[in-house]
Amino acid sequence: MRLLVVEDDPDLNRQICAALTDAGYAVDKAFDGEEGHYLGENEPYDAVVLDLGLPKMDGISVLESWRRAGKQMPVLILTARDRWSEKVQGFDAGADDYVAKPFHMEEVLARIRALLRRSTGHASSELVCGPVHLDTRTSRVTVDGNPVRLTSHEYRLLAYLMHHHGRVVSRTELVEHLYDQDFDRDSNTIEVFVGRLRKKLGVDVIETIRGLGYRLSQPANAT
Amino acid sequence: MQHKGSSESFPGTPKARARNPETSSEDASEVLNRTEHERPLAAALAARFARRRGGSLARRLFLTAAAITVIVLGLSGVVLSSLYRETAERALDRYLNVYLKNIVVDVATAPTGTIPDPTSLSEPLFQTPNSGWYWQIEWLSGPTSKMKFSPSLPEPGLASLDEQRIPIRSDGFREGYIGGPEGQRLRVVENLIDLGSDGQYVVTVAANIAETEEEIASFNWTLFITLFLLGAVFVATAWFQVRFGLRPLGRISQSLHAIRTGRAERLEGNFPAEIEPLAREVNALIDTNRDIVIRARTHVGNLAHALKTPLSVLLNETSGKQDATAEKVREQVAVMREQVQHHLERARIAARVAVPGTVVDVDSVVDGVVRTMEKIHRDRGVRIISDVEGEINFHGEEQDLAEMVGNLVDNACKWAKSRVEIRARPEPGPQVERAFLRVIVDDDGPGLSAEARQEVLTHRGKRLDESKPGSGLGLSIVSDLAHLYQGRLELGASPAGGLRAELVLPRAS
Repeated sequence: MRLLVVEDDPDLNRQICAALTDAGYAVDKAFDGEEGHYLGENEPYDAVVLDLGLPKMDGISVLESWRRAGKQMPVLILTARDRWSEKVQGFDAGADDYVAKPFHMEEVLARIRALLRRSTGHASSELVCGPVHLDTRTSRVTVDGNPVRLTSHEYRLLAYLMHHHGRVVSRTELVEHLYDQDFDRDSNTIEVFVGRLRKKLGVDVIETIRGLGYRLSQPANAT
Repeated sequence: MQHKGSSESFPGTPKARARNPETSSEDASEVLNRTEHERPLAAALAARFARRRGGSLARRLFLTAAAITVIVLGLSGVVLSSLYRETAERALDRYLNVYLKNIVVDVATAPTGTIPDPTSLSEPLFQTPNSGWYWQIEWLSGPTSKMKFSPSLPEPGLASLDEQRIPIRSDGFREGYIGGPEGQRLRVVENLIDLGSDGQYVVTVAANIAETEEEIASFNWTLFITLFLLGAVFVATAWFQVRFGLRPLGRISQSLHAIRTGRAERLEGNFPAEIEPLAREVNALIDTNRDIVIRARTHVGNLAHALKTPLSVLLNETSGKQDATAEKVREQVAVMREQVQHHLERARIAARVAVPGTVVDVDSVVDGVVRTMEKIHRDRGVRIISDVEGEINFHGEEQDLAEMVGNLVDNACKWAKSRVEIRARPEPGPQVERAFLRVIVDDDGPGLSAEARQEVLTHRGKRLDESKPGSGLGLSIVSDLAHLYQGRLELGASPAGGLRAELVLPRAS
């Protein structure tokens, strides 16, 4: 899952990015409205954390412009202005959720999880595929009830596949959604991660569709 | 304080007199005893004086006009009356002089030493006793004197003008008033004819002035009535002028009151040239005041919002840490957050008082709130139904209406099982002063007990709904805001089983 954080305060930006990275997301950051607008329009983010009071281009304009361009990723608005009239304005511009400053980071994480879940059509915060369970709140993965230790890249890969459970996900899509923009992208590494992930999970849930990509599906022998 | 001030400022008050060294000690003690009783009176007088000092412009104009009218008309009355009297007397004198000249001719042509009968005077009035018309001829020659008078005049003839010390003019004439028979008052013209060695004749003709006086009195009465009516008309005109002329001032005063109570934004309409500048300046002052308040509110808002980002940073910096410093930082951040919120709210209230509200379409605000709630609470599967009857306008600030409706609907959505209903209606009933509207928000949640509902409305700021996420102060904020608009929040039971929140707010026509 790849996120964009648009926040002009460097400290807050760093904190949010750190918290999101810790929670297992690939995170890109922008410090002003124009930069954020450019990234949001050109990169396939799974969700965006958007501050409203931004230099160069305010958050509402950025959001409206994205929606006009047909960008449908969920957007969490982050702002100090918390009156209902301002919330209505934000939601009318196309926001999906709202967190007022000052906030607890846990709140932002919970809202992001909910937005991602909703955008991929899941009802619960615990994603299940056969014996594999992934709790998005705690970032814990279990197979048949036994915890599995994953690196952050392995976790991201599994989480993305599980969010898009049952659909064929191309290698390019995986690269775009698992790494932030500064990462040295090489689609071959994906194969390496998939290999490691299969070994660690020990159950055959990741199916390779030749020429297209991967698909997460319940193992044939599952009950 | 009031007593002391008033008794010292007026030298005539008992205390001041008691201090006077010329007053005897007994007087002083008596005065001091009385002081206690008289103080309230002095204070009352001082208060009255202070209240009257500003006075009334209308009274001032009216009294001036009335005083001038009375003085001018009074003086004209006196002048006209004395002029008429002079004219009437001169006319009488002319008559008397004609008779006098006839007699003088008779006397001059009569033989020396005799008093002629002035036959040329055929006037029957001189024959009728006590008719009021008299003549008298007196011959003075040395020590002897002879006298003859008209048959109309009884003995002993006319009183002399000498008693009144009226001097004889160089032409030998003098005039005056004397008493006559039967209490008559007579106008007398007297001529002293000096014939040298033949002696002196004093010829006097007199006439009763009662008739003339009657004429004069009748004239004076007519004059008085005329002038009185004229004065009444003038005074009434002055009163009307003052009332009519000062009416725009009353209008200004009413408009200012309307502005202060939020029913108008500025002085509207045309004012006379004299007070037009005043109205213009007042409007400019209102604009400036509003600008200042809005700027201040913006600054406070900017400050508050600018502080929230660093507060977020501080809060997040401590997240996950359990040591004493982190605990302290969290606690202080919470205090700062409350302070910022509190003063932000104060600034909004101050601005609301200074800036009269505008007309806000209730329907569009409710629509916006519903759209937002549908997104925020989409996971809860609550249906939100809104029904705004016709075109209802709220008199106030759009943000405040959104805040009130938003909080109520948000609260309802948090608790509702499946359905939230929003209705807005014009409030029926007498609309003498202001019209009101009613927004009703129903939910089918667990509702609140009567005690709990009372709690929300009386102990504002109490967190009743802590078990649900959100600020938790929603209902009390709504109640506070509604009171600011002279409206109210009513809580009751919804027919669907949950809470019914009713918001009564001023409606703009």
